[in-house]
Amino acid sequence: MVTPAASNDESWRNSRRVSTRRSFALMASGALLGLLMAGYSLFTARGTSTLIVPPEDVALVNQQPISRSDYIQQLQTLYGVDLPHATAEQRRKVLDDMIREEVFVQRGKELDVASTDPEVRAAMVNSVELEIAADAITQQPSEAMLRSYYALHRSRYASEGVMNLRDYVFPLVESGAAAQAAEALRLGAPTPTLLSQWHAADSGKVSDQEFYFAAKIHLGDSLFEVARELSDGGVSAPIAVSDAIHVLYMLKNSKPVAFDFAAARNQVLTDYRNDAIGHLRSGDEAFLRKRANVLIADDLR
Amino acid sequence: MRIPLLSAAWVCILAAVMVHSSALEARLLRADPNAIPGNAALLAFARDRGGALFEAHCAACHGTGGQADAVRGIPALSDPQWLYGTGSVSDIEQIIKYGIRSHHPRGWNLAIMPAYASAQPSARDSKIPPLSPGNIGDLVEYLFQRQGRAADDAAAARGGELFLHAGCYDCHAVDAKGDSAIGAPDLTDAVTLYGDGSRESLVMSIAYGRQGMCPDWVRRINAAGIREVAVFVYSLSHPQGQAGAAAPGSG
Repeated sequence: MVTPAASNDESWRNSRRVSTRRSFALMASGALLGLLMAGYSLFTARGTSTLIVPPEDVALVNQQPISRSDYIQQLQTLYGVDLPHATAEQRRKVLDDMIREEVFVQRGKELDVASTDPEVRAAMVNSVELEIAADAITQQPSEAMLRSYYALHRSRYASEGVMNLRDYVFPLVESGAAAQAAEALRLGAPTPTLLSQWHAADSGKVSDQEFYFAAKIHLGDSLFEVARELSDGGVSAPIAVSDAIHVLYMLKNSKPVAFDFAAARNQVLTDYRNDAIGHLRSGDEAFLRKRANVLIADDLR
Repeated sequence: MRIPLLSAAWVCILAAVMVHSSALEARLLRADPNAIPGNAALLAFARDRGGALFEAHCAACHGTGGQADAVRGIPALSDPQWLYGTGSVSDIEQIIKYGIRSHHPRGWNLAIMPAYASAQPSARDSKIPPLSPGNIGDLVEYLFQRQGRAADDAAAARGGELFLHAGCYDCHAVDAKGDSAIGAPDLTDAVTLYGDGSRESLVMSIAYGRQGMCPDWVRRINAAGIREVAVFVYSLSHPQGQAGAAAPGSG
């Protein structure tokens, strides 16, 4: 004969049999564990009101945290000391300053200073742009993606061309002399002869070796376009521009050389990221505009 | 009966591990970052967890061991040379948090090597003049001379003048020894971030500029994670876990 107490005791131990006591005990344990987890989360999770300063912060101002690492950095910046070597006065001063800043920022939000202060507006725009770009900034594209981007935009990645040329100028009325001088140059006439015999002068616009961008600025677009096509030792036909007739004599023309992927990789990565950031920003801007209720005055529609 | 007991035991063990881990994390966050390497328990805890985060977020550029890659301009994290700051845990933590040229307002955004072979070498400072190929050659000779390598003396003299007038000294200092407060490398030592230190690689740096980037992780990794990665990175150059900040580095 088994008594009910003994039976219950037996079913408590036997996991194959239903036990009321065990069920209640497990339910109570589960509830207790749930309460403990909820309590822990309540007092540590972000966004909830708490009386405990999280370990990563040095203060909470209306629940807004002041970061401990920023506090330490501020001590270092202001006093050149680390935390253990800072005096109580230095610690208090830095903390007070940071709390003051937070209090004023919160007041600024209440006063909606962003609606009137252009610097705050600019900072907010910059901050939101940064937030949008965060994904593109933190993601490292694979080598295959970079190579593919490089292949698509190969023309961007080349060295800057370098030219060393002389720009001889002749008075506008001396077009015949300019043609004869150009021919003489092609035959190897020395420069002093050229200058004296045909009344030419060196414009002095270009000197020694110049990068293409500099030569373009110095010569002007039309002369530069002629110059870049000349090969070493090449002489242009006389070119009449507004001030004079020019004859270009190319001593050495090192044309841009395409960078291979290894040489271009850093620039490719920068361009890839910038494109990704631009793409994200335009997408987000389109979304924000779509979401916004924008009313435009009749006269500006 | 055994199954519930075992389950309860596992739950208790798990809870104990979580509580212990949480307590260590709180200690880690409250500790002076530069004192963590002197605390064996915190160091081991942070290094282990930081290593996993480093592998997930940083290894794509830095490799799992923080090794250098001169082709990509990736700095060695395993040597005592520090380009930004002093290499202390707190300095490393700030870099991870706010990045380098990440555009974060608190990041190290100041130092950008201009591309002198362009009409406007620096997008931020229109006063920096472009240089000619001859100018760049002279500067390279000057840097070779400063490094004690064979150089053309006349060109080096011209390069020295240029160094003071082309904006170089603004970042690299008058003595060309750089400034770790802004991340400008020492140009007088043999340590190079990009290339092999040859004339060609110096020409590439001066002509086309350098602007490597480290993202800001403040919005992606929590405070504990950032500190753990900082301790892990510190431990790469201090395998014995010596306490205190590293000596100021240069290049």
